[in-house]
Amino acid sequence: METRSFLSLEDTSREELKDILDLAAAFANGRLRDPLISRTVCLAFFEASTRTAVSFELAARRSGAHVISLSENGSAISKGESLIDTVVTLDSLGADAIVLRHPAAGAAALASRHTTAPIINAGDGCGQHPTQALLDLYALSDALDGFEELAGRRVAIVGDILHSRVARSVIPGFVRAGIEVSFVAPRTLLPPDTEAWGLPVLSSVDEAMEWGADVLYMLRLQKERMTGARVPSVAEYSRFYGVAQHHLGNGVLVMHPGPVNRGVEISGEVVLDASSLISDQVASGVCVRSAVLALSTGAVQRAAA
Amino acid sequence: MIRDSAATPELVIRRAHVLDPSTGLDSILDVRISSDKILEIGEGLRGTREVDADGLHLFPGFVDVHAHWRTPGREDEETIESGSAAAAAGGFTGVVMMPNTDPIVDRPVVVSGLVRRVELESRVRARVSAALHVGLAGARLTEMRLLKEAGAFCVSDDGLGTASAGVLRNGMLYARSAGLPVILHCEDHTLATGVVHEGVAGSLVGLPGSPASAEDTATATALVLAAETGAKVHITHVSTALSVALVGFFRDGADVTADTTPHHLTLTDELVSTLEGRYRVNPPLRPDGDRCGVEAALRDGVLDFVATDHAPHASEEKELPMEEAAPGFLGHETAFAALYTDLVLGGRLSLARLVEAMSCAPGRWVGEGGSLGVGAVADLTLVDLSERWAVDRDALMSRSSNSPYLGRALSGRVVTTIVGGELIHDTTGAKFGVRA
Repeated sequence: METRSFLSLEDTSREELKDILDLAAAFANGRLRDPLISRTVCLAFFEASTRTAVSFELAARRSGAHVISLSENGSAISKGESLIDTVVTLDSLGADAIVLRHPAAGAAALASRHTTAPIINAGDGCGQHPTQALLDLYALSDALDGFEELAGRRVAIVGDILHSRVARSVIPGFVRAGIEVSFVAPRTLLPPDTEAWGLPVLSSVDEAMEWGADVLYMLRLQKERMTGARVPSVAEYSRFYGVAQHHLGNGVLVMHPGPVNRGVEISGEVVLDASSLISDQVASGVCVRSAVLALSTGAVQRAAA
Repeated sequence: MIRDSAATPELVIRRAHVLDPSTGLDSILDVRISSDKILEIGEGLRGTREVDADGLHLFPGFVDVHAHWRTPGREDEETIESGSAAAAAGGFTGVVMMPNTDPIVDRPVVVSGLVRRVELESRVRARVSAALHVGLAGARLTEMRLLKEAGAFCVSDDGLGTASAGVLRNGMLYARSAGLPVILHCEDHTLATGVVHEGVAGSLVGLPGSPASAEDTATATALVLAAETGAKVHITHVSTALSVALVGFFRDGADVTADTTPHHLTLTDELVSTLEGRYRVNPPLRPDGDRCGVEAALRDGVLDFVATDHAPHASEEKELPMEEAAPGFLGHETAFAALYTDLVLGGRLSLARLVEAMSCAPGRWVGEGGSLGVGAVADLTLVDLSERWAVDRDALMSRSSNSPYLGRALSGRVVTTIVGGELIHDTTGAKFGVRA
């Protein structure tokens, strides 16, 4: 049975994306019964996580898998065991898939070179977070009545692109799906030579609306970025890079990988009702991760199956 | 105060020698001004109100991108009114005010307050530079986009220099996003620990020196970062031969401009031997080798223009031993005459290049003025090149008197300064029958 790691979306084709999302839909509709029965999924989280960890655990359990969770506290990780030694141990114990969250970019790829079990990247440093991008595509497809409807839509990615693993997975995933992507951020939060990517760089959410954004994809501004070195103040950031009530109401959708900093990325006054896909994103996580687990362990060969 | 343009009556300046390198004008012509603009340039123009400028030179108004008007906080040294009067007396029609005041211009409310006061009190077009970092402390970025909305024209760390390359790089990146030019005072504080240039002159009299490398390393850092970040960067008061060469190296690969001051073009560290506090300035007066390099760079255009770094200080802060004196010179009222006397009459700089460096190039940099084309704003300076005058502390318009040229006789006197068609400085009102 063929297994495969999920490390990033950079080499994932449009057809593969569609396959994964179709399989996720099959999970959501209850058309697949316990495909992971008798498999063991290990969750190795070297960094704190609530929604991703819970989402993966539910995804595994609802597909019939046994789940073993390791967190930094209460495992040998806290004794200083290295990343490679930990994943090799899990591999030797017979894990069928290892879901890895780690604070360093490239950790998932490094781990995958030392295990026979597939590695599923649940976020590594500022590197990649591929299942986040997949669940975003799932939630957006759902809101727009299908994957085919994504092509030609305009998504403005707003905020700390430089330090965001979400952005590094969302950008290739969205572009592959035919979405037009733009960046909205100060240069202090953008990678150098952003123009070389061939995507527009806009200076405010207002400008993104003028550009014709169908979706505002808001990234979380980490607390440590608010100290003045890269962003002068929350007041200035929220004024130019935050969603305010006046942006909404014309059908624009708001996405955010969570957790939201109210008053920073999204103004406190904003009522996120029909325009918000944030809870849909969270809800999509389970079926999408079930699909990823099923494909990576080889329990399901193709979405069409 | 710049009045509403509709209130300004038509004015014809007759028979002036019009010299404007930006348009190529260089002959005896008449200029008609109406509704704050230049309406017509030609021969035989007449009007209801005329200025007979026979024997005078007419230039685009000078623009000084580096001025300290000490407001708020040290109004005993300079106010917006007195600073702008000094600027007007020196032929300047536009000025950029530096942010190292008390309080420092690092918050939008300070900028908007200054902008309102400039509208009420300034005779010339005064633009506000906000701080690049909060408190000019080289750590936290200022709210540059809100500062811009409040009316800031650019950002600067002038007076202090920036703490580290990493901090400066983020400042440039953010300023680029905010669409603000950055004016940099390049000085490395780990090297600039003295009070004069570290060289023979300072050593002979026993004054602690700051080496040229204090400026050169900071200039190199700023230029490298400007090239990398794509920010619009202006290096102010370049004073060494090596810094000039560095600017020349980076000019084509970065959005960089640079200026030097009248005093770095005309004075050297020989004055250190006087031990007088009034000759203390940052960057310090340099040896003649550096002065020559700076002069050549201004001639060749490697340095884009002249800015005065007009820095008034109370006499109790200047009439002190060199080590205790505050650094800085007055600049507005002597800039043209000092440069005309030493460089143009000395045969080392053409008059056209001097006008280019005081009017056209800085006017282009601020985006207004610096040109006598038809349709341009009527910001003009009339100069009597033949007049010889002594720099007299009692005749200065500035509230301070810390000019390094006090007592010197200079050639070339600004007689009339016009901003938006209005005479804001005029020493010849009686002669022409018009009043300022």
